[in-house]
Amino acid sequence: MTEPVVRLALDAMATRFELVLHGDDPVRLRAAGEEALREIERLEDILSFYRPAGALGRLNRSVPGVAHGLPAPLYDAVESARDCWARTGGAFDPTVGPLMRAWGMAGGTMRRPEADVLAEARSRCGFGYVRLDAASRAVAFERAGMAIDLGGIGKGFAIDEAVTVLREVGVPHALMHGGTSTVAAFGRAPDGTPWRVGVPDPRTPGTLLCTVDLDGAALSVSEPRSKGFEDDTGFHGHVIDPRSGMPTRAARLAAVRCASAAGSDAFATALLVDPSALDHPDPRNPGVDFVVVRAHPADILGRGLLPDPGKP
Amino acid sequence: MDRRRFLKKGSMGTLLSIVGPSVAGAELREARTEEPLRCAVIGFGPQGRDIAAAIEDIPEMALEAICDDYPIMLRRAQRSNPDTKRVPDYRAVLDDPAVQAVFIATPTHLHRHVAIDALAAGKHVYCEAPMAATVDDARAMAEAAASSPDQVFQVGLHLRTEPQYRSVFGFIRSGALGKPLYGKAQWHAKDSWRRPTSDPARQKAMDWRLDPELSLGMVGELGLQQIDGSNWVFAGFPTAVHGFSSRLFWNDGRTVPDTVQTVFEYEGGQRLMWDATLASSFDSAYELYYGSDATIMLREQKAWMFKEVDAPQLGWEVYARRDRFYKETGIALLANATKLDAIGTDPTADDPNQKSPLWHALKAFADNYFFGPFPPVADANLGFATTVLAVAARDAVRTGNRVTIEPSEYLP
Repeated sequence: MTEPVVRLALDAMATRFELVLHGDDPVRLRAAGEEALREIERLEDILSFYRPAGALGRLNRSVPGVAHGLPAPLYDAVESARDCWARTGGAFDPTVGPLMRAWGMAGGTMRRPEADVLAEARSRCGFGYVRLDAASRAVAFERAGMAIDLGGIGKGFAIDEAVTVLREVGVPHALMHGGTSTVAAFGRAPDGTPWRVGVPDPRTPGTLLCTVDLDGAALSVSEPRSKGFEDDTGFHGHVIDPRSGMPTRAARLAAVRCASAAGSDAFATALLVDPSALDHPDPRNPGVDFVVVRAHPADILGRGLLPDPGKP
Repeated sequence: MDRRRFLKKGSMGTLLSIVGPSVAGAELREARTEEPLRCAVIGFGPQGRDIAAAIEDIPEMALEAICDDYPIMLRRAQRSNPDTKRVPDYRAVLDDPAVQAVFIATPTHLHRHVAIDALAAGKHVYCEAPMAATVDDARAMAEAAASSPDQVFQVGLHLRTEPQYRSVFGFIRSGALGKPLYGKAQWHAKDSWRRPTSDPARQKAMDWRLDPELSLGMVGELGLQQIDGSNWVFAGFPTAVHGFSSRLFWNDGRTVPDTVQTVFEYEGGQRLMWDATLASSFDSAYELYYGSDATIMLREQKAWMFKEVDAPQLGWEVYARRDRFYKETGIALLANATKLDAIGTDPTADDPNQKSPLWHALKAFADNYFFGPFPPVADANLGFATTVLAVAARDAVRTGNRVTIEPSEYLP
């Protein structure tokens, strides 16, 4: 007999989280799911870039060189972001905000910035100018005008914490996604098969590039929005390479599977910027599976995740 | 400005705002120490976690210990507060000389013993509301607090110490509504009101809110903050309460309702209608106070006034922000709006530095420790009176009857 299935949802972090649980006691499953979603709401308060009264807001207004002690969950998220920045050779960088604003890609009108504006924005970006002290859980910026925006990793970080809550209270099987772009699962689907997630093929709408099984792992899929603008130097896509400060249209889709949703969230963003970002010689990167549909040249890179048979 | 002067300055406003004009002339005291107040949180469920986070956000307070008898909660404390002591037995917290103040966020029916033991151990005590689950428990706690006049004892009735609410309640009491007519408040969520555990033997204890033998029910556990605000607006405690309830949605073995309506009667003839449901989140929580000149709505630490067309015009109205609510126009009510304007901050924008009502409650507690003890605005007597009211309301809801409360019953 199929076990009862419980579904819950939450609007948070400007997206919709959904949770599917199954086990032998739907009453306990429901309570566990609610507790996991409460954890996401709590982390939204801690991680949000848009809550200036919080610890991240205070850090983002801080004077260069002055360290700010952070609550443990926020420090852990910043440390995870630093880890992803290092593992992708800087292709994932949560300090990219000034460049996004210079190009008008954080709201406003998109335009090519003047050279001096671009140079000034670049001087305020780069996780290499962020100092972390694990012993005191303190963070300091080396340059004025810097800020950390955890939007590229916060959703995954929250899903990881929610999954921890579910496992702690004995939920045997669960799948959770945030905005359909990051999904984590453990145990089995209600019919006893693995939790299986399809990755859309951007080249042939309505078809799947590949299917991915998840058990104790997370998958993130990133596609650049079709936004961009054209000027006399050509078309500029919506994704900024934090290292060069320039828009890139290197990839049409990136999908990453790894142990943590925070990691898959950040890595998928990094691969849109630089499809070879996970070839960075970091000994931890072999634990990460990925597939990238590149735009120029139009081909597929991958490791561990491969297109389904029959796909070109 | 040195820390002592900073604290002194900070306390002046808080002191005056908490206790009001009756002690406005009271002599200011020097802070008793410049060392932070070392605190322990007892009970690490959602409310205890919020308290711990607020303590970490108040520079004058230091979180020394987290106590919970459920190992999963202590594991969670390890993740959120790795440098803080984790203690499974509250008596060990009370024996710890490093802990000066305890913040009680256990299930309500466990407050009594923890609070009384903490006072006996010389600790300052902050106890979440409702203060107790029975009148006997509340009376014992109020007596213990009265016997410990040198220790701070504050109840977590948060609206009493939240600046925006204080400002609006003062505005209402000054006659802004015209003739006060009635109030309406709601608390809506879609939530099972259960808490998870991996241990089936612990499930009943985790679900204490749904236990009719232990819990004050929805009106006591969810409504007391809003009802306490109404008591402030109508300047007294209700003389009677009617209750209605149904279990309409959660067919999960519970015997208690998931949807409740109540009517509280005040001496002046006004009534508060408070309703709650665990089956719909529509419109969340808010309070409305109707009067012959205006109606005031409070929600999420914001407030708006909707004026009758024939009501007298107030001078500052021309400068006030107006927000549309379908066909009505609300005038935003903001504490310190003119001061904000004077310093160049847009008084109509959301306050980026706004702290939660809980944060303000804990800050008031800390100020009392450093500069008191003076009578907290949410003291044990108020905790007793609101417990009496919660018990009466719970009984009215349970029986469907009108329950009357004599004024003398509100006194411990």
